[in-house]
Amino acid sequence: MGGWSSGHVSKRTGSPKMPLVAVVDDDEAVREALHDLLQVLGLACRTFDRAEAFMAEYVPNQFDCLITDVSMPGQSGVELQERLRELGSSIPVVIITADTSPATRARAMSGGALACLTKPVNDNVLLHHLQSVLNDAGNSRDDRRDTPPDE
Amino acid sequence: MSNLLQRATAGGHTSPHAMELADLASESVIVSDVHGVIRYWNAASEALYGWPAMAMVGQRVQTIGSLAHNGTDHFSALLREGRWEGVVHRRGLTGTEIVAAVRQIVRRDTTGALLDIVEFGRNAGSLSEAAYLRMDAELQSSLAASWELDTSAARPLLDAITEHRRSGITIDFDRHPDWVDKLLTTTRILAINDRAVRIFGAHAGYEQMIGQPIGAFWPAESRSVLATLLESVASDRTRLEISKMVLSGSLRNPVIKAWHSAEPKPPDTVFVTINGVTNDERTSWELQASENRYRRLVQYLPTALWQVDSRRAGEAFDQLKANGVRDIAGHLERNPDLVEHAKDVVRVTDVNLDAVSLFRAGNPADLIKPVRYIFAAAPGLAERVMVAHFEGRRNLIEETRVRAFDGSIIDVLFTVTYPVPPEQLDNTFITMQDISERLNAEQQLRKLQADFSHAGRIATLGELATSIAHEINQPLSAIVTNGETSLRWLARADQNTEKVTQLTSRIVSNARRASDIIHRIRGMAAKHEPEKRLINLNEVVEEALLFIRHDIDSKSIVLSASFGADLPKVLGDRIQLQQVIINLLVNSVQAIVQSGQPTRRIDAQTSIDDDGSVVFSVLDNGPGVPAANLARVFDSFFSTKDAGIGIGLAICQSIITAHGGRIAGANRPNGGAHFHFTLPVPTVAGPDSSGAGDIIR
Repeated sequence: MGGWSSGHVSKRTGSPKMPLVAVVDDDEAVREALHDLLQVLGLACRTFDRAEAFMAEYVPNQFDCLITDVSMPGQSGVELQERLRELGSSIPVVIITADTSPATRARAMSGGALACLTKPVNDNVLLHHLQSVLNDAGNSRDDRRDTPPDE
Repeated sequence: MSNLLQRATAGGHTSPHAMELADLASESVIVSDVHGVIRYWNAASEALYGWPAMAMVGQRVQTIGSLAHNGTDHFSALLREGRWEGVVHRRGLTGTEIVAAVRQIVRRDTTGALLDIVEFGRNAGSLSEAAYLRMDAELQSSLAASWELDTSAARPLLDAITEHRRSGITIDFDRHPDWVDKLLTTTRILAINDRAVRIFGAHAGYEQMIGQPIGAFWPAESRSVLATLLESVASDRTRLEISKMVLSGSLRNPVIKAWHSAEPKPPDTVFVTINGVTNDERTSWELQASENRYRRLVQYLPTALWQVDSRRAGEAFDQLKANGVRDIAGHLERNPDLVEHAKDVVRVTDVNLDAVSLFRAGNPADLIKPVRYIFAAAPGLAERVMVAHFEGRRNLIEETRVRAFDGSIIDVLFTVTYPVPPEQLDNTFITMQDISERLNAEQQLRKLQADFSHAGRIATLGELATSIAHEINQPLSAIVTNGETSLRWLARADQNTEKVTQLTSRIVSNARRASDIIHRIRGMAAKHEPEKRLINLNEVVEEALLFIRHDIDSKSIVLSASFGADLPKVLGDRIQLQQVIINLLVNSVQAIVQSGQPTRRIDAQTSIDDDGSVVFSVLDNGPGVPAANLARVFDSFFSTKDAGIGIGLAICQSIITAHGGRIAGANRPNGGAHFHFTLPVPTVAGPDSSGAGDIIR
């Protein structure tokens, strides 16, 4: 398993370059589970219970990746992605949903999602997608952080 | 001969031919008209009284004296009863007094109009005054309530009392209730005529009275009178005792006569007769016609009917009241033997045909006995019947069960109607109506309603399938991720037991959560007989919201739920009420989505209304219901949805109605719809009724 945890970033070293992932899901159990999975994968993570909570603290380039549920009270995950794209963010978004309808999937992908995964999520599949965007993410995030968001 | 006479006079006039036949009779035959004018006087009459027919026809019978032995004119009694027997004193041709034992019969036509009076007479012979008295009493006994009693078992007591009397002590039975009781218990009924059976409250109870102690039937108010008479005639065989008595009921100024029987009856046989004017002024013909009508009516009444003589219970109640008993229910509970005793002494005196068939009995006699069998399958019913009687209620009605003679248990509507003075106090009526068919129909209706609402639930679950799938997928998703995370920890060199323990316990709790959701869905999907329990509507609403929460979220609807504080519990079926709540919410969701309203709001509220009923309301800001449809939304198969079959609200209405509540829909002044239902709060809620254990169907 886990190219990541054995890979580039050591959790133990507490390196500032450890990638940071945002998780948005209204279900506490799902949030906790994803948090711990990311932790064992050696990824730092912050969780939000709804899209509005994420946006309230939104700072461009704060996170290396966003994992979001679709169906939530208030704004949906797909709408959240659309909002971020409107704000010019290119943050990789992994949509996770119980809703397997092609329409939801199509809307998510056309909104620029990295992947649209069906709950329950397979950890290897999730890891594969995360690896694809987070290789050297710590560095690139640091690079981006030096770059003004409007650039 | 009387046949011939009847035939001859059927046309309204007397045929001379028939009269000639009567001329040959050895008994005196006298026919007189309505006014007492003699129309016919046969040869035997000439011989008996000395007067020739020529002299008598056209005269009134009274011209030769026709007073009864006791000096009274019995004519009115004759007309009333239709017949009379007794000893009369008449004046013969030679001026001598002739004592005749006569039998007079009133003949009427089919409409009841009086045709004539036929008298048969014979010479009573020359007897002592006492013998005349006895003969008169015996003759009149057929018109009286007559008893033939066996006092042999009372002989030791009677002898003891006689001994007292000889020693000069005046015997006052009012002061010796123990003697009265003993005497009336040991004196048994040998025979009894119809009139006595009727007056003493035991219609058709003849078989049940024979061999019984007289005390079981004699009215309480005249027991010492009877004891006095019995003692008097039993100790002196020549005596005929006449006394007034008190008798509540049908006879006015009743006179009781008692005498010792002559040979060939056994030595301890005593006759007792009771004569009196019936309170009813109608003639016996009218009474009989009326009684026949009444009996036919009762016999063929399409309701099983019992006539019960509950006087013994009434007497016992009077005694209890005199003893200061007020709380009869408590008293009976402490003294269950009183109830058991009453089941034996209170007797059924008559039943009708429906009663016979209801109890699968062979004939009415099977049912004419103590009332015990009526209560065989209804625990507590006898007590309640007694309590109602004691409290002077007019009737008692309840649904109960009886055990028929073939052992089958039948659901009946049981009614007792108690007599209230001045009605005949022996007549308590019990009616029973077989309601098993109705209960079956109700059962079927309940099943149909249950099927109907089940179909509705399945439909609703179908509509909520996505929402439910999401709801159940969340914990499953958490479980999978937690499991995978655990495996990753376990695969590492630096195993973190603490972390794995935490993850495993999360797996367990999420699995429980998933299982609970499935349990709820199964509850909604299952067919079940409605079960009414005391429930908190707030909890029902909360659980209902779990089903639809995701649906509401996914459609970006803001749901606000406000729960009234301290709601009283209501009697209801949790699943069915949830079904109604979910249905109303789904309707609001669908309406709002169709409307394209940018801000979508649904308010779900519980509260108490002015009547104290518990209310659930759903308010939305959708398009509302077109005014034309408002009146029809609860009709079956009314739908405005493309895919709707229109049973949702109809089911809601049938469920709420079955809960004794109301459901209504309206449009809100500022747009949107407002649907609400109310549920009555049960008035009686015992201290332990808050438990979920009590089921009321």
